[in-house]
Amino acid sequence: MKKAQLNLSFGWIFAIIVGAVILLLTIYGVTKFINTSGQEQDIAGAKKLGILFNSLETGPESVTSTPFKISSETKIYNTCNNFGGFGKQKISFSTLTFKKWSSPSGEVSFKNRYLFSNRSVQGKKFYFFVKPFEFPFKVADLVYLTSAEDKYCFDDGVPDEVKEEISDLNQENIAPNCSEANEQTIEICFSGTCEIEVNLYKNYVKKGDDTLYFVTPEKGFGEKDYSLMYAAIFSDKKTYECQLKRLLFRTKELALLYKGKIKISREGLNLEDDLTSLITQIEHYNDSSDLKGFTNQVETLKQKNENVKLW
Amino acid sequence: MLNYGKMKNQNKNQKFCNGIFKFPLVKQGQMKIQQMAFMMVAIFIFFALVGMLIITTKFSGLKEQANLLHEENAMRLASKIANSPEFSCGNSFETSEASCVDFDKVMALKEQIKNNPNIYKDFWGDVSKIEIIKIYPSEENITKCTNKNYPNCSKLTLISGQGMSKGNFITLCRKEFKNAQTYDKCELAQIFVNYEVVE
Repeated sequence: MKKAQLNLSFGWIFAIIVGAVILLLTIYGVTKFINTSGQEQDIAGAKKLGILFNSLETGPESVTSTPFKISSETKIYNTCNNFGGFGKQKISFSTLTFKKWSSPSGEVSFKNRYLFSNRSVQGKKFYFFVKPFEFPFKVADLVYLTSAEDKYCFDDGVPDEVKEEISDLNQENIAPNCSEANEQTIEICFSGTCEIEVNLYKNYVKKGDDTLYFVTPEKGFGEKDYSLMYAAIFSDKKTYECQLKRLLFRTKELALLYKGKIKISREGLNLEDDLTSLITQIEHYNDSSDLKGFTNQVETLKQKNENVKLW
Repeated sequence: MLNYGKMKNQNKNQKFCNGIFKFPLVKQGQMKIQQMAFMMVAIFIFFALVGMLIITTKFSGLKEQANLLHEENAMRLASKIANSPEFSCGNSFETSEASCVDFDKVMALKEQIKNNPNIYKDFWGDVSKIEIIKIYPSEENITKCTNKNYPNCSKLTLISGQGMSKGNFITLCRKEFKNAQTYDKCELAQIFVNYEVVE
């Protein structure tokens, strides 16, 4: 009785093995190539975003909003660390390719940028608006990043000043009132309860269990600086607290710079002690709940500077 | 005289065929295997070469892209750095204008960088040099600014390095003390931001 046999010559076995090796290597190479291309795009995207940040530096004027479009669905990761003095703002991209998110790659870092957003923001179109932060001198431009897919609205309790600013921004995903809000819209309320609650009397933003404290220093002409309030609204607690520490470190370095300027120009000698007090206060800072303690010192410096114009 | 018998014993596998010396093959199939093996090695080498060519082209494009990004960054930085708090005049001078650099403050910054070089390292990103040069009123000799000769100098180097430079015009202002009075003195200058070129 004959048994069924697979009659393969040595030639065939050799061809199959070598062929399989070549195919595997090719597939491996192509996959690596696609990954590298993806990473390259992610790095270039993050770098371009950084360059865009450089052009967002505000002058003596205004608040500006800038759109940023990406061809494929993207997650922008906002990471912050406060090591080594100024700390670092890190941005990385992850793109959706073949229904799969690439791992966040090509982290681009900046020492002089402060991005306020959630840990990751997803979409194809993003908006940022920029506001200068003065404490009491200009410290930095704060960048607020939101996805066009995330809609926000401010309820009726919002101060007129903020309402006007939001209207002027003309950013399509942030509405100055909630009249056209739908289920997906994130409501920011200044009275009552909702997802993001702002208390302007006690100066905090409440999001679930997290409380983020802010200050609204006087800008003059009865106007207030709401830059930290926006920062607390649009970012998660971890990012907010980290960026705040970085901002205060820069405030300290700028205070030292102004002390240096006093020595050189011999102008503003009466500000020297107050600058030293601000530096000491910053050195003892822990988290945003300490911010309120700075208010008096900042106000004193601001008033004294009115005559001297050190900044 | 040739001893064919001995030769046959010494080179059992060698044969003459139509006058051409050939290695005899045990089986015809072995020849095919060799052909196939050579073919596959050739195909492999071909694909490897094509792959290398693609990667080389791609990486040369990457360098170009990196340089373009560095250049764009330096250009934007040169045009905007004057507005950053470490440089800007703010409200210190009569006119609160954009692209105004506070000379006294930048001099203090130079001291701060000198005393603690690590703290401001990479603070302005991939920048290899930042320099301010007064251009009007022009001076015969360009003198580097130090603690001793300030403000009678025309070139202030904050970060020294090499690379391609991008410049922008600025107003360089400081407080001048004369006849028991302080007044604003503003001059025309250029700020240069250098970036390193990826070779």
